[in-house]
Amino acid sequence: MPPSRYGVNEESKSIWVYLEQEEGILENVSLEMLSKGREMADLLKWKLVGLLLGSGVGPLALEAIARGADEVRVADHPLLAQFTIEGHGLVVFDAVMQGKPSIFLLGATLNGRDLAGRLAVRFRTGLNADCTNLHMDEKDGLLVSEVSGFGGGVVAMIEMHNHRPQMATVRPGVFEMREPDITRKGDIINIPVELKPEQIKTRILERVRSGVVDLTRVPVLVVGGRGVNGDFVILKKLADLLGGDVGATRPPVDAGHIERERQIGQTGVVSSPKVALCCGLSGAFHLLVGIEKADVVVSINTDPDAPIFEFSDYYIVGDVGQYLPALIQTLQSQREASHA
Amino acid sequence: MADDVRLQLDDDLVERLNALTGGAAAVCYQCGTCTASCPWGLVREDHLPVRTIIHQAQLGVPGWQDKLWLCTTCGQCEALCPRGVKIIDVFRGLRELAWESNHVEKGLPSLLWSIYWNENPWSQPPSQRAAWARGLDIPVFDDKKHEILLYVGCTSSYDRRAQKIARALVTVLNTAGVKFGYLGNDEPCCGESALSVGNLDYFNEIVNKTAGIFNEKKVTQLIAISPHCYDVFKNHYPQTADTFKPLHYTQYLAQLITDGRLKFPGALKEKITFQDPCYLGRHNAEYEGPRQVLSAIPEAEVIEMAANRSDGLCCGGGGGRMWLETINAERFSNLRAKEAEKTGAGILATACPFCIVCLEDSAKNLIPGKLRVLDIAEIAALALEKPRE
Amino acid sequence: MPELRIVVCVKVVPKSEEIRVDYATKLLDRSNARSEINPPDMNALEIALGVKDRYGGRVDIISMGPPYFEPWLRVGLAMGCDHIYLLSDRAFGGADTLATTYTLARGIEKSGGVDLIICGEESADGATGQVPAGLAEWLNISQLTLLTEISLDLERRVATGRRSLKGGYEILEAPLPCLVSAKTAGNEPRFMDFKRKNWAYETERVTIWNAADLKADPDHIGLKGSPTTVSELASMPVRERKRKQVDGNFQSAVEELVSIIRGAL
Repeated sequence: MPPSRYGVNEESKSIWVYLEQEEGILENVSLEMLSKGREMADLLKWKLVGLLLGSGVGPLALEAIARGADEVRVADHPLLAQFTIEGHGLVVFDAVMQGKPSIFLLGATLNGRDLAGRLAVRFRTGLNADCTNLHMDEKDGLLVSEVSGFGGGVVAMIEMHNHRPQMATVRPGVFEMREPDITRKGDIINIPVELKPEQIKTRILERVRSGVVDLTRVPVLVVGGRGVNGDFVILKKLADLLGGDVGATRPPVDAGHIERERQIGQTGVVSSPKVALCCGLSGAFHLLVGIEKADVVVSINTDPDAPIFEFSDYYIVGDVGQYLPALIQTLQSQREASHA
Repeated sequence: MADDVRLQLDDDLVERLNALTGGAAAVCYQCGTCTASCPWGLVREDHLPVRTIIHQAQLGVPGWQDKLWLCTTCGQCEALCPRGVKIIDVFRGLRELAWESNHVEKGLPSLLWSIYWNENPWSQPPSQRAAWARGLDIPVFDDKKHEILLYVGCTSSYDRRAQKIARALVTVLNTAGVKFGYLGNDEPCCGESALSVGNLDYFNEIVNKTAGIFNEKKVTQLIAISPHCYDVFKNHYPQTADTFKPLHYTQYLAQLITDGRLKFPGALKEKITFQDPCYLGRHNAEYEGPRQVLSAIPEAEVIEMAANRSDGLCCGGGGGRMWLETINAERFSNLRAKEAEKTGAGILATACPFCIVCLEDSAKNLIPGKLRVLDIAEIAALALEKPRE
Repeated sequence: MPELRIVVCVKVVPKSEEIRVDYATKLLDRSNARSEINPPDMNALEIALGVKDRYGGRVDIISMGPPYFEPWLRVGLAMGCDHIYLLSDRAFGGADTLATTYTLARGIEKSGGVDLIICGEESADGATGQVPAGLAEWLNISQLTLLTEISLDLERRVATGRRSLKGGYEILEAPLPCLVSAKTAGNEPRFMDFKRKNWAYETERVTIWNAADLKADPDHIGLKGSPTTVSELASMPVRERKRKQVDGNFQSAVEELVSIIRGAL
C-alpha cells in the first residue's frame, strides 16, 4: 500500500476539526464535532484544533474556542468568502500538511463531503464517510469510526492503522453540541493564504436560499393528513414546541392547505426524523416511504383500521382535533415549569 | 378570418399505428359517441376528445400527447361505438409511440423500472411480497395437490387495504374446503400495468417470463384477485389449447356456490350495491358472477345503481391512472360513491383492488360513516362468520 | 469539433434489504440478494443521456466489478449508452474508496479523452458518497456535485449545473473536462428502448480490462490499496414497528404521548 503524504511517525498528537461556516455562522455539525473532539482530546490528552476558512471570520474563532477548541487556525481571504473546492481544497491541504494532525474531522455536509473526498485522495489516506459514531482507542491513538451502509441495514467499525490523517466525515446531528464556555482560553493562529483568482476554476453564478426548511433532517416531523382539516397552524405550533417542522400528505397539499414543498412521501420529501408524528393520515404507500427512516413513529387517527397503525411504534385511536391542543397545552406548561 | 391551419400528415405514423393496432382506427366514421360517453366529460369542461384522437390517428396528425394519458381504458366508449372500433387498442398504440420518443407522463418510466427491478409496480421490496400472508400458512402451489393457484397480484400483495381482500379470500376458500396454493415471494407480476401504459414491448417480455413460470410450475387453473390480472391472463397470455384456464375469483366463488361447496348458513342483513369493475364487466362480459355470490347470502339485498353493468362508471384507476395524480375535483370515484349512497345501500361491494382503493377513499372523504366499501370476498367472509339461525 | 464524450460510472449493487452479514468472515453475504443498478447511478445515466440528446456525442459506461455485472450494465446500453468498460480482476476486490477511485481513474484514462464524467451521488451499499470527489482528484479535473440539471457551452468548454443546497440551490460553472455527480432522485430515468434492447444484449460493445491491462500499480488496488480496514460488522435488523396502542383515559394518553416523544428526542 502506498504511504500517505505523512505517516504515523510524523503526526502531531492532535485532532483537527474543519469549521464550516456560511455567511458568518458556524454550521451546527462543526460545533457538534468540537464537543466530541473535546471529549476525545481529553481522553488522550491531545490538542483540539479548529480549522476555519472564510473572509472576515475572526469572531467565529472565538466561538470555536468557547465550544472546546484549544487552538483555531484561521485562513482569512476574500477568495475564501464562498466555498469553492479549489480554493478551500488548496488552503486546507496546505494547513493540514503544516500541522500534520493525527485525526481530521469534517462535517458530512454537501461541501464537507466534497472537500473530504477530494483531500483524502490528495493525502493518499483513507476516509470514513458519514460516521454515526466515533471513539478513540486509547492505547494506540486509533480512531474507530462507525459507519452504516445498505440503507442503514449494516453497521461497520472502521480503522486506519498506517495512514494519516485519519479522516472522517461526521453525520450532522449525531453528537450533542456543548454549551459555549466563554471563560475557555485558546490560541488563534492566522494562516497566510496565497491564492490567485485563476486557481479557482468554479464560478458561482447564482445562489438561492428560499425560506423553506430542509425537511429531510428535522428532529421532529409533524405530518398532517386529511384528518387535520386544513389546520396546519396548530401543527406548526406543536412542531415549534418540539423543535421540528411540519409536513403533509398529498390530500391537504392538493386542497391548497399547505405548500407542495412540504409533501412527504415517494413523490415528495423523504425524511429521517427522530420522531414522526402522523396526524389524521391513513398511511398510504406513498407517504410511508417518506417516513420509514424515522426512529419513532407515533400516529393519531380516528379510524381503528387505519393502515398507519401497523406502521407505527405508538398510536392512538382518537381525534387529532382533541389530542393536538392537549399535547400543546401539556408541552407548554412543562416548558413553563422548567423555566420557573 | 381565422388563420389557415396547416396540417402535417404523417403517412409513416399511420402505417405504424395500423401495424400496432391491427388497423383499429380505420373503421371509425367520426360519429362522436365515444367523446360523448367518456366519463371525463362528467368531471371536466375540456373533456377527453376521443373522436378527435381517433381522427388524428387515422390521418397521421401528431399532437394528442397531453390528453393521451387521461384515458382509464374503461371501455365505455367501445361498449357504445356503433362501428365496434377497438378504441382502447388505438390509445395503447398511440401510447406505444409516445414511449418510442420518450414523451410519456411523469411517473410512468418509474412504474416500469419498478416492475423491472422489483417485480411489482409499487416500488416495494420483492422479498416482502408474501408478507401479507404471514400466519396464514398458505401452501406453496403444487400441481399434484392443488385444484387451483391463488394468484394474488401486486396490488393485493402490497397495498394495505387490498391485502385485506386477499386475507378474506383465503378464509372463504378454506371454509369451502378448496385445496389451493400460491407462489409466495416468487409470484411474478402479470404485467398489466405495462400494457395499460402502452409499453407493449415490455409487456410482451413480461408475458413470456410469467407464462414460462406458470408452465414450469404446471399451473392450469388460476384465480386472480384483480380483474386486471385476470384480463391479461385470459386475453393476452398464450393459451395452450385447454390447459390454461384463468378465472376471476368471483367467478370461482360463484362456481363453488353452484357446486354446493360454498354455503352461507347464517344471514347478513345488509343492503348492498355492486360496482361492476371495468375489467370484469365491460372488458370480459362478466356481470353475474359477483351478483350470484351476493344473492347466495341470506338476507343480503342487492340494489343496483342507476348506471350498472355495461353502463357502470369507472372508478378512475385503470389505464395506468393508479400511478398518476388525479385532482380531487376530477375523480370519477367521487361521483360513483355518491351514486352508491343514493341507492340507500350500507355497503358498496367491489371486485377489484383499484376500485376498492379509489372508492373507499372517496367515500371516506365525501360521506364518512355512510357507506362501507368491501370486496366480494370480504362480504363473503363476513357472512360466513354469521351463525346458523 | 470532436465528438463529445461522456463517461458514466455505474455500480451494480445487491438490494439492501436482502443483505445478510457473515459474522465469521466479517463480510457481507450477498448470495441470496437480487442485484440492481445502484439507483443513484440511474439518475447519472439519465443526466448523461439528456446531454447526448441535446449536444450529441457518445455515452460510455465504466464499472469496476466482477463479470456478473455485465448483463446489468447492458441495461445502460438499452437506455441509450454506447459502450461498456468493465474493470474486472480479483485483485480489485476488497477496495475502499481510495483504491476504487484509483482504479476507475486508470480505466477512464485508458478508455480515451473525456469531456464529462457523471457519477451517482453515492452507492446504495457503501453509501460513502466519496467516489465522485475522489475520482475528480485522481484525474485532476473540476467537479460539480449534486446536480439536478446541467448544460454545456461547447465553445467556451464549460459546464453549468444546478446544484441542490439545503433549502435552495446554486448555479455553478466549471471548465471541461468536468466530473459531475447526480443528485439522487433528481430526475426520472428513462425506461429502456426495447428496439435498442435486443441490440444491447447481443452487441460486442463491451470491453473488459484487468489490472494488467490498466497497468495498475498492484499496491494501489483492491484490499492492498485500501488504507481503511473493517474491524467489526453487524447487521441492523429490519425495523419492525412496535405497534403499541396508547390507551387509557384522555389525560393519561396525552401525558404518555408527551413522554414517548420526549424520550425519543
